[in-house]
Amino acid sequence: MPDRRAANRAMFWRIIRRLFGANPGRLFVMLLALGAGAAVTAALLNLQVDAKRRLTTEFRAFGPNVLIIPKGSSGANSETLPESTIHLVPVNLPSGRVTVSSTLYMIANVFVPQSGKSLAAVVAGTNPLAFLRISVLSSSTSEANLNGPAPSMGQVCVAGARVAKQLGFQQNTELVLASGDRHESCRVASFHQTGGPEDDRVAIGLRAAQRLANLPNRISAIELIVPGTPGEIQSYIADLQRRLPDVDVRPIRQFTEGEAKIYNRISGLLTATVAIVLLLTGLCVMAAMTNVAMERKMDVSLMKAIGGSMRRVLRLFLAEAALLGLAGGVIGAAAGIFLSIGLGKAVFGVAARPRLIVYPVAVALTVIVAILSAFPLRRLASIRPASVFRGEA
Amino acid sequence: MFLRIVADSFGRRPRHKLLTGAALALGMGVVTAALSVSLDVGDRLAKEFRGLGANLLVTPQADSLPLEIGGADYRPVNAGAYLPEADLPKLKTIFWHNNIIAFAPILEDRATVLVDVPSVDLNSLRSNVILHPAEPPPVSIIGTWAQHKLSLPDGSSFVTGVDRTNPWWQVQGRWFSEGLSECVVGQALARRTGLHIGDHVYLGGSEPRVLLQSSLPQFLVTGLLATGGAEDDAIILPLDAAQHLSKRPGQYRKLYVSALTKPEDDFARRDPKTMNAGEFERWSCSPYVSSIAYSIKQILPGADVRVVRRIAEGEGQILTRVRMLLWLVTGAALLAAALAVGASSAASVIERRTEIGLMKALGAGSGTVGFLLAAEQLLLAFVGGGVGYALGIVLARLVGEKIFGVAPAPSLIVFSVIIALAAGVTVLGSAFPLHRASRYEPAPILRGE
Repeated sequence: MPDRRAANRAMFWRIIRRLFGANPGRLFVMLLALGAGAAVTAALLNLQVDAKRRLTTEFRAFGPNVLIIPKGSSGANSETLPESTIHLVPVNLPSGRVTVSSTLYMIANVFVPQSGKSLAAVVAGTNPLAFLRISVLSSSTSEANLNGPAPSMGQVCVAGARVAKQLGFQQNTELVLASGDRHESCRVASFHQTGGPEDDRVAIGLRAAQRLANLPNRISAIELIVPGTPGEIQSYIADLQRRLPDVDVRPIRQFTEGEAKIYNRISGLLTATVAIVLLLTGLCVMAAMTNVAMERKMDVSLMKAIGGSMRRVLRLFLAEAALLGLAGGVIGAAAGIFLSIGLGKAVFGVAARPRLIVYPVAVALTVIVAILSAFPLRRLASIRPASVFRGEA
Repeated sequence: MFLRIVADSFGRRPRHKLLTGAALALGMGVVTAALSVSLDVGDRLAKEFRGLGANLLVTPQADSLPLEIGGADYRPVNAGAYLPEADLPKLKTIFWHNNIIAFAPILEDRATVLVDVPSVDLNSLRSNVILHPAEPPPVSIIGTWAQHKLSLPDGSSFVTGVDRTNPWWQVQGRWFSEGLSECVVGQALARRTGLHIGDHVYLGGSEPRVLLQSSLPQFLVTGLLATGGAEDDAIILPLDAAQHLSKRPGQYRKLYVSALTKPEDDFARRDPKTMNAGEFERWSCSPYVSSIAYSIKQILPGADVRVVRRIAEGEGQILTRVRMLLWLVTGAALLAAALAVGASSAASVIERRTEIGLMKALGAGSGTVGFLLAAEQLLLAFVGGGVGYALGIVLARLVGEKIFGVAPAPSLIVFSVIIALAAGVTVLGSAFPLHRASRYEPAPILRGE
């Protein structure tokens, strides 16, 4: 008895091998269709997961989206916060790191010793000064080494384009900032041209501004760039307000709301496109496979003629389809890894991090599609072998 | 005879043809949907990005530096320059007038505010309630437009205002109506002073003087404004009222312009002064934010037009990325559809070996056979492509309406691309098996070997 079963099994596999070996052209076509489907599925699923996460990082391009200011501060009064507040801000989120900068604003007299011109301007003491580069996209300015010699020593400053225009100074000019009887000097490292209020300000290191304003360890505001989806940012703000009851934590609504709307649109678009593409990729593969399955009439008739029961014949073909699906799926998923790396690089400049869960899903989907597309073979159950062999059907 | 064979082939094996055709139609359907959405998405998203507010800022060239901290300007009251309001309709006459979707002039000043709060009103106290009587720090007032109807030189009118340029400004209640003595109060200020919708405020000019309530203009509070910014502490008035209060009739100091733009590339960032005539023409005929700024500057003398980089560049960057993402997804869909269609047409050629053998045995040349099969496949491609296009348009409509509320318009370009693609893919898919078929020896095939 076990012998017969073993012989049966051996025969089963032998037939399967022959089915694959008999027509390499057909095999190639089927593997191509299945593999292409699996590759696209894997790449799109991967991109879909990755792109949404990346999009939230892209929104950082808009700069700070959360502001911490003294409670009740309405702008008109010049209240300040202790600088230590900054240490209470949680910076590690699951969605990435929060970028924090603190600023002290004051009005000072800006004097250019070279030309003797002077003018009152807003001086922003910023820590870290290099933050300016990410918070404002100053593409039209010369890229200066803001990380250079200890920026917070008050050695360098970044001048707004309009300040520079009014005072007529160039890069590397020495500026003297004076407030009351205190003064600080700095060298202009670069210019800002942002179209925002930064154009009218001179930015220097926080320490220098604090010395100038005689407000040691005080700051006017903390600006945060919080990464994450709109929901994550909202809950971060609520959490921060709970942690810091003595200050006002405000979303910069212009950006938080705009971002939320755009994020929803884009992610909806992405989901819809990916869903449609996946669905129709599956259908296309199925159509291609079904076409191939239909030509198996002869094989089925022969098997039936020599006494194969329909159940066993069907099992044979389903096994073949599943194996093909598996092979095509694995090949396709492997190709999908490269495809998604390429896509990620092309779109975001960074390779999409492969999500391992995506690949088994893609392979499983391919196997299911392959088995489903073998189902029209059931129609062959009604075939009468004799008429097939006579060439009638 | 040729047509008869083709017709016969379709009639005899309708199921096979149907399956191949279905694969084609489905594949082309995805490509159509993806293409239509991708073509449309740039414009739609550009509109969405206008929700971030103005991307251009116009200020007087001769203006002094604003000494602004947290929204409060510390400049002496009379310093600075102003621009004439009468020039504003010209904005809708520039070359890019269709891209300018909103603008709002701003005139800021400070005023002493007297609050008349009926809710705490006792008859004996119906005198003036003076805000901060000891040291009255004047409250900022902002004169601007809201739902302002502007008549244009060509006779049409254009509705614009700060509610369009800064859509995140939320008004609880309603915006003021222009021409009436109404105003909107920032929510922080309202909370501090206990103002409610329906109350009246009396505004005195910024210069200290004897305040007689009866002599002051009175404004009805129609709404409370929440912006998350310095405007929460201000009173927003119609522009003409603010001009009257600050004695600057017909003037404004700042203009927000919200324009639909094309993301900037390296070419856009070049200085127009360094371009030659051809380049300059190309530059000024692309809706780059910088070229729109340039043409606004041409028609507003004495104005300095600045690009709000934070918005313009962030927008450009994200828009470029998303557009590229969609093109790639479209490309992937195209690839998958092409492969599946190619595979199915290859299969349909392979299975017809016997037929090919018979035709060759009867004396048909390889060329004739190939031509016959290709004609069949092409016919299938046109039908499948057409059905796929219709299918794809429906899909694109569904997606567009779901996401943007507007369906993309069907375009003829997409149709021709789809038909060409369907033909190309089927011919390519059958080319390889056809090539092999052309070398078949009829005898072994007919013998069944």
